[in-house]
Formats: sequence, C-alpha cells, structure tokens
Amino acid sequence: MSNLSDKQLLRELRLRLEERKKLENEVKELSRDFQDVTKKLKESESLKSHFISNISNEIVNPFTSILGLSKAILSVEKNDWKKVVSMVALIHSEAFNLDFQLRNIFVAAKIEAGEVAPNISKVNLRSLIQNVIDSFNIVSRKMNIDIDLQYNIEYGFGKNFYFKTDSEKLKLVLSNLINNALKYSYKESKVILKVWMDDDILHLSVQDFGTGISDKNQKIIFERFKRLDSGINSINRGHGLGLSITKALLDVLEGSIEIKSQKGEGSTFSVALPEAKHIVDGFSGEGNDIFFDEGDEIF
Amino acid sequence: MDNNYLQHFLYPSSLFVSKDPYVVKTILGSCVAICLWDKRLKIGGMNHYMLSNWNGNDLASPKYGNIAIDKLVERMFALGSRIEDLQAKIFGGGELLESGQGKSTLIGERNIRVARLMLEEKRIPIVASSTGGRRGRKILFFTDTGEVRHKFLEKKVY
Repeated sequence: MSNLSDKQLLRELRLRLEERKKLENEVKELSRDFQDVTKKLKESESLKSHFISNISNEIVNPFTSILGLSKAILSVEKNDWKKVVSMVALIHSEAFNLDFQLRNIFVAAKIEAGEVAPNISKVNLRSLIQNVIDSFNIVSRKMNIDIDLQYNIEYGFGKNFYFKTDSEKLKLVLSNLINNALKYSYKESKVILKVWMDDDILHLSVQDFGTGISDKNQKIIFERFKRLDSGINSINRGHGLGLSITKALLDVLEGSIEIKSQKGEGSTFSVALPEAKHIVDGFSGEGNDIFFDEGDEIF
Repeated sequence: MDNNYLQHFLYPSSLFVSKDPYVVKTILGSCVAICLWDKRLKIGGMNHYMLSNWNGNDLASPKYGNIAIDKLVERMFALGSRIEDLQAKIFGGGELLESGQGKSTLIGERNIRVARLMLEEKRIPIVASSTGGRRGRKILFFTDTGEVRHKFLEKKVY
C-alpha cells in the first residue's frame, strides 16, 4: 500500500463522501418510488373491486330488463302493437348496450393479454361513420339528441373515400366517444361529429354540450376503471374502461386523442389518426424474401 | 429453408407464444424484445415492450416491460414450461431519438434494465443479447430452435 499525502487523502475522502451522498439520494429516490408503487397498487385494488360491482350492474341490469320486457310482450293484448313496438325498442337498446359493453371488455382483455395487432384494410370512412351513428339512433332519439355529422372530406368526385386503417378498432373508438358524448349530454341537445383530413391524417372530433369535465378530471379520465360519477343520463353506469380502451386502440394505430372541456359547457374529444401503411418499415407483410440476407448475425 | 415455418409479425405492446414452430419477426427501436426459449420442450415466445414500468393508469398491457415479462413467462408456463428450462435472449433498447438537451430520456436503457433485473430475479439466464446503440434492429426468432437472426437497420425506426 502506498502512502498518500494529506492532499490526496483529503481528495479521496471528499470523493467518497460525494459518492455516498449520491447513493443515499438514490436510495431515497428508490424508496419514494416504492411508496408510490404501493399506493398505486392499493388504489388499483380498490378500483378493481369497484369495477367488478360496476360491471355486474352493467351486465345484470340489461339482462333483467330484456328478460322482463320479453316476458311482458308475451302477455300483451294481441292488437296492442304500439305497446309491443315500444317494448321491442327498449329490448333493442338494452341488448345494444350489453353488446357494446361486452365488446369493450373483451377488447380490454385482449389488449392486456398482448393479443391486439392492427388489422389494416381499405375502409370506406363515410359508411363506417354513418353505421356507427346509426347504431346509436335509438338511444339518441330517445334522449332527443341530434347527432350532427359534419363530414368534410371530398375525394374522387364525391365518391366514397377509402382510408387504410383497422375498421373494427376505429369503430370501437368512435362508438366509445359517441357513447360518452350521449351519456354526459343533457336531453334535447346536440352532439357534433366533425370529420376532416389533413395530409394523411384523419381527424375526428366529437363535441357535446353536456356537463363538461374539470381540469383536474381531464388528467385522470383516460385511466382505467376511473369514472366520473356525473353521467346525467345514466346514474352509476359504465365500467370506466371506455377511454382507456380508446387510448390503447389509438396507440396500436399510432393515433392520438386530445380533450378540450370546460365544466358546465361540454367537452370535445379530438382524435388524430394517421393512415396506415401496408408495409411496415423493412418488412413486407407476407413475403419472407427479404428476411434472410448475408448480413444477418445469428444469436 | 424457412418455408416450413409459420410466420408471425410481432407488433409493439403484444406478445406471442407458440407450441408450433414459428418464425416471429419484429422491428425494434428503443423497444425491447425478450425471446424466451424452453430447451426441454423446444418451444418459445417473445414480447415487445415500449416502456419499462407500468404507470398504474393505463390498461395493464404488455406495452410495459414489467407486465410484458411476467405475462411472457406465465404464457410459457401455460404451455408446460418449467422455469429451470427457460433461457432468454434480449434485444433492442437503442436510443434513437436524439432528444438533445444533455440528459435524454433514456427509454431504451431503462427498458434493458428492467429486462435484466426481472430475468435475474426469476433466475432465467440471458444467453445472448444485443442491446443499446443508436440504430434500430430487425429480429427473427425461431421458436423451435431458439435461434435468433439479428440485423441492424440503416433507417431509423420510430
């Protein structure tokens, strides 16, 4: 061992001290992280149990209605068609809701299992959007809400416009946004759906004039299982997955979503979705030709 | 020679495990992919995650390393694997975004770290790896032999 001069010794000590401080800080940071995680975990647990009670409502209620209504139809006076029609309409809307919610839940399960991949095809936007709106017809009519579609894409002499994307995912994204807009709207109001293109990016915005979302809530609205308990038309309904699914689906399609809202004045959700490329960078989808070349390293 | 293989393109945030011989392909930037291979059953699986740790807010999807690794191992177990037969190869985690401003976000590095930490914790040996750097990678994984073909990309990814 060599002898150190005082100066060297001092420097060495200082270095070690600094090192130690750094480590200490790191430990502090880590324990803070750890506490955060524990807190999150606890929250997550309670959210999950909330979710289960919400979801059972979500499934059990429509079923109860459907069963009750269909039984009631059986005992309706034979020529009372009006009554039958109104009951069938109710059954339809309950079944629609059930189907919609189940779809969401299955997609969430798929996303969490890592089994979601974009399934790209040429999509006729106009008819896809119209179909989604039509599917909410009964609900919107019941609430006397007008869904105003402002479709601002012109292409090929007003012919149908094709856009490369995943139609099922886009449908679910749009359905979730419209469903939310209706859920948080007042009766006899309006939902505006705007559609336009900007280069290769499709823009959709869904605007409602309902309760609106406070700044604080805008931050947590995309988190899973989080629901704002202020739905006007559906007290205590919903599983709180809609927007987190929407966000995850847009993630897969490399799109994004933004929200603009003011408490009491309604909300606007805007989606930007780039057109998908058929060919993933460096991959040719089906072919395997380009996969092997001399330059490959083998591990 | 590769015509007997079924092919699967692995997208980010997803994972793939199969009993049948597959060639799983993916492209990595700052993402990390872990190829797990069972030397006894000759089966394999791969994940492809974008960020290291789940924030507790989004869906608990394999977009996040800590979730993707657990899920991949679970799926291997579901096909009958035992932990002592598993071996891992890890790829990716480059820093492609030149975020400048001195301190970059180091997404790639964090992604690699979570892989090494969790695999060590599970006592799954890492038998090969190619991580870090500034370029994207193309990976082909043969689930029956455990072989991985690897190539750097000239173009930037993500």
